[in-house]
Formats: sequence, structure tokens, C-alpha cells
Amino acid sequence: MAEYAKDYSLPELMAASVAREINDGELCFIGVGMPLMAATIAKFTHAPNFNMMVEYGAVGPSPRRLPMCVDCAVNNERAYYTGTQREVMGAQQAGFVDAACISGAQIDKYGNLNSTCIGDYQNLKVRLAGSGGANDLSSSANRTIIMMRQDGRNFVNKLDYITSPGYLDGPGAREKAGLLGGGPHVAVTTMGVYRFDNETREMYLEKIHPGVKLEDIKRSIQWDIAVSPNLIETEPPTEEQVMVMRTLDPLKVYLGNGREVLAGDFEAFMKMFEDSYWPMTELMKKKGLL
Amino acid sequence: MKFEPIPIRKGRAKPPAYKIMTAKEAVTEFIQDGCYLGMSVSAAPAALIWEIVRQKDRIKNLSLSITSQIGMSSALIGSGLVSKIEMAYNWGGIEGEDKVFRRAVEKGIPRPLEVEDYSNYGCAMRWEAASIGLDFMPVKSQLGSDIIKNNPRIKVIDDPYTGKPVSLVPASNPDVGIMHCSRADEIGNVQCYGMYGNTDLLARASKKVIVSVEEIVTQAEIRRMPNLTVIPYYYVDAIVQAPFGAHWRESNFYYHHDLAFGLDAYRQFATKEGFDAWADKYIHGTKDWDEYCKVVGYDRLNRLRLSEGKYQKFGEVR
Repeated sequence: MAEYAKDYSLPELMAASVAREINDGELCFIGVGMPLMAATIAKFTHAPNFNMMVEYGAVGPSPRRLPMCVDCAVNNERAYYTGTQREVMGAQQAGFVDAACISGAQIDKYGNLNSTCIGDYQNLKVRLAGSGGANDLSSSANRTIIMMRQDGRNFVNKLDYITSPGYLDGPGAREKAGLLGGGPHVAVTTMGVYRFDNETREMYLEKIHPGVKLEDIKRSIQWDIAVSPNLIETEPPTEEQVMVMRTLDPLKVYLGNGREVLAGDFEAFMKMFEDSYWPMTELMKKKGLL
Repeated sequence: MKFEPIPIRKGRAKPPAYKIMTAKEAVTEFIQDGCYLGMSVSAAPAALIWEIVRQKDRIKNLSLSITSQIGMSSALIGSGLVSKIEMAYNWGGIEGEDKVFRRAVEKGIPRPLEVEDYSNYGCAMRWEAASIGLDFMPVKSQLGSDIIKNNPRIKVIDDPYTGKPVSLVPASNPDVGIMHCSRADEIGNVQCYGMYGNTDLLARASKKVIVSVEEIVTQAEIRRMPNLTVIPYYYVDAIVQAPFGAHWRESNFYYHHDLAFGLDAYRQFATKEGFDAWADKYIHGTKDWDEYCKVVGYDRLNRLRLSEGKYQKFGEVR
């Protein structure tokens, strides 16, 4: 059995939790950032034969440098396919994608997500990024893996805007709306891991991150969250998973405040970006991934 | 019967003629005030966008048709050129929150910006419809969401074959499509290395098409690997040679994203004054793309190219 890391950060714990949601042999839609970290460590540990699909049009890449966006040049590295977004989005609408990682700024108990605006859409307080591919993935992927911050205000009774459909208003609603995909399967947050009940389609707490108190979780959610009778503590990342993440992202661009360090510092950026390549190559060779 | 033959109908094909222009010439000729403009995501047509901003005394108002934009729409929105954007996503990606976009939508600074939201695939299918001469496409996304409730141009109907709900998105035919690709010949056959998102669809959907490229090659070279041609000549009006023409973002197998530059730009975009100073230095302070590259520094740009070349070469597995 792999050894658990003693020293790890909350983003690393979340990435490891997401990684455990990916099964060997699957085809999953992976964005950059934390999902990419999760995908990378999943390949290193229990899912060497899983392949990622990247939204801009790549299938099966294995980046050894840090991808900086879905259309990053790095996502061409050792890919089986590079081409169009229509290919990957079309394939996922047609049901070929097992799982997709998505996020949002707000979530409700049915796993509906908002990434469009805070406040009324017609008279908004804060404009956010918009759907991007999140609506498409939540519509048609066989299951979605949600990752998000839980900040005490964003687990709400009513979303300001439904960008990405979860179970809408309960059992049967997705089918009635004409949606093809399976809907949310799990939500990994900064406080715990949640699943969705097969009968009611409501979110319940399954795992609680080490050091987090149940009462704090309850206080941060606007509705009365159901708690699994078998509530357990979230499994930490392994030593190896943490080592791989820190090799690919040594300045914690995705798993910390690395972006602040790099703004305007070309030399630091080039060093960070290039230095991961050969160590990652060696690690992947040892694992038979190259 | 008057024995007059039926007149010949002319097709839309652009001629297989010499199309190389400077960015200034192409923008001057094809992009007019009030233009409905389509833009590729990656490679991002930065050299063309910067040129449009330089001509803002003439081009005062644009509406944009995009799928997603990661950072590069800021130059147009921050300069007050855009009154409407049809989109799925407009944000900084790794660079973070897009303050230029937020200021325009939330506060109308420097001018009010109307947003028409779709999903990414919804946007792509709008170009797809136009690219094959249709007026709409069905999409199984957007159903059940507030995207549909707030965008009257998306229709939900019962599929006439299955009776199940499906959303319809209207075709998007931009007046002009701008994009950056790997290489082209002088008559406008365009090739891409690696991922190219929806760039092929945008070229087919747009009435006029300006493509900037890293390299111009011969027709014989294009014919050597014709399956790399993602845009044949008959869609294309102008080819602009712009090495590093997607900086600060990437051009597959040529150079990678200059994250340090992008993060620094975003830091300056936090305020309107910061954005204006940035645009004064990098866009208005330079007369063309070559001068922009000199201000950024060819040493730096060549480092980005050398770096990408160390790890990836097209046609080779490393």
C-alpha cells in the first residue's frame, strides 16, 4: 500500500480526491488547473490507461510541462489526436465521454452550477466568465466531477443563474429537459467530498477533510445538508502523488499562489516551465507511461 | 422565347489569386465601422487585433462573435470598440479574472457591453451552421439552464423525429473572421499544426477572412501534406505574415504562451488607467506588429520559440 503524505496542502488533497474519481481505461474531459493535476496523478497511480480529452481539440496528451490553458501548446505533447473542438465536444454529446471535470462559483443541492453572474442576470452585481464548455459537459457527459471552493456563501438555496445543469429541480428533471448526460456524480470542495443520492438526487456529505469540523460545514451551507451515516475522513494524497504534483507545478501556479510570483518575471516563468520536463520524463518512464 | 441563355450564377469562392497583405492593408480594406467580427481563440490573432485597435478612429463600433476568448478580447473591449459580444466564455484563464470585461459589463466603462450567452458547443454550432449554408443547428446543450431563459435567440423545440426537446442556435455569419494559423501559401491555403479549435469553422462562416500566419510557404509545400490544410484558398481573402503573431499566447509548435507577460498585462488591466497605459505602450506606441515585437523584445520571443522547439517538433514524437 502506498504511503500517505504527511506534508500536503489543501489543493493537493482536493486534487488527489478528484484523481480517485477517475477510473482506469476511462476517457475523461479534463480542464487545466486542478483537474489537470488530478489527471496526471491518476495516471501515475491507479489509472495508467485513462486518457484525457482537452476542450480545444486534443485526445490523450501526456504533458510534462504545465499546461497554461485548454488551448495551450503543451496539450499537443504526445497526443493521439489533435484537431478541432467539434471533435471532442461532438464526441461528448454523442456519449463517448465517461466523466468531465467542471466548476462553478455557486452550487445548489441538486448540483446545478453558476459561473455566469452574481446578482440578477439582467441587473447583475458581478459578471463572471460564462459557461465556456461547462454547460455542454454538464449536459452530456456520462457523469461530472465538480470541484469548487466552499466559502460560506456559495452553497445556496437558489442560484443567481443556472449555467450548468445538475439535477435541476429533482428526480426526472434532466430527462424531461431533454438532457443526455448522467449529471453530477461527486463534488470535491475545500471542506469535503459530496455525492448525490440515487433516489432524491440531493447532495449529501460523504467525506470530511482532515481538520474540518462538521458544524462548520453545516454553517457554510444554506440548506440542511444530509450527512452520510458512514461519514469518513478524506483520504490524504500519497507521497508519490504529492511528489508528482510538485514536480509538474513546482511554484504552485495551480495549487497555490504561484501566479503572483510569476507576473512580469520572464526568467522565473521560463525556469519553472522548462524545469519540469526532464524530471517528469524520468518519472513517467519509470512508470511505463512513456 | 427570346433565346437568351440563363445567366451564370457566380459562386462564393474567393479566387486562387495572390492574397498577401500587411495587417494594416487587410484591416483597412476589410474591417469597417459596425463590423460583426469573428475571432479565433488559439492561435489568437493578436497582430490583427492590435491593428484594429490602432485604427479605432475609423472603426468605432464592433460586435463580436466568439466561442471563448482567453485574454485577447481585452484589447478591443478595453479600447471601447465593442458594443456587443456573443460568447460562451470571456475570461483570463490562468491569467485570472478579466477586469476589462467586468468593467464594461458591470459599469459600462469605457462603454456599455451587451452580452449574449451561449455554451461553447452552442457557439461552435453557430459557426458550423453558417459553414455549411444552414440558418441554425440543433444542440443538446443549454437545455434546462438559464442560458436559454435569458437568450431569446436560442429556441427549444420538440425534435420532429423523436419528440424530445432540443435547443436550436442561430447561424453566426461574421462580416469578417480573423484568425492566426501556422502557415499558408500566397493564394490562401492555410495549414495548422496541432489543435485548432473552431478556426476552420470560423473561416467557413465568415463573409471575409483574414488569416495571419507564422510562415508563408509555396503551393508545392502545401501540396506535400494536404491533410494539414484546414482552410482551403476559396474561403480566404487576405494572408498576413506575422511571426509571433499570437504573442502573448501560443502558436502550436512555434512558441508557447508567455505567461509572465500575460499575468503582468492582467495586473495592469485591473484599472482603466492601467489598461490605457498598457495599450499606449504596446499598441498605439507601435506602428505595426514588427515594432510591437521589438518593444516586447525579439530576444524574449526567440527564447519562447527555442523553448518550445526543445520539447516539441511537428511530426516527431519526443
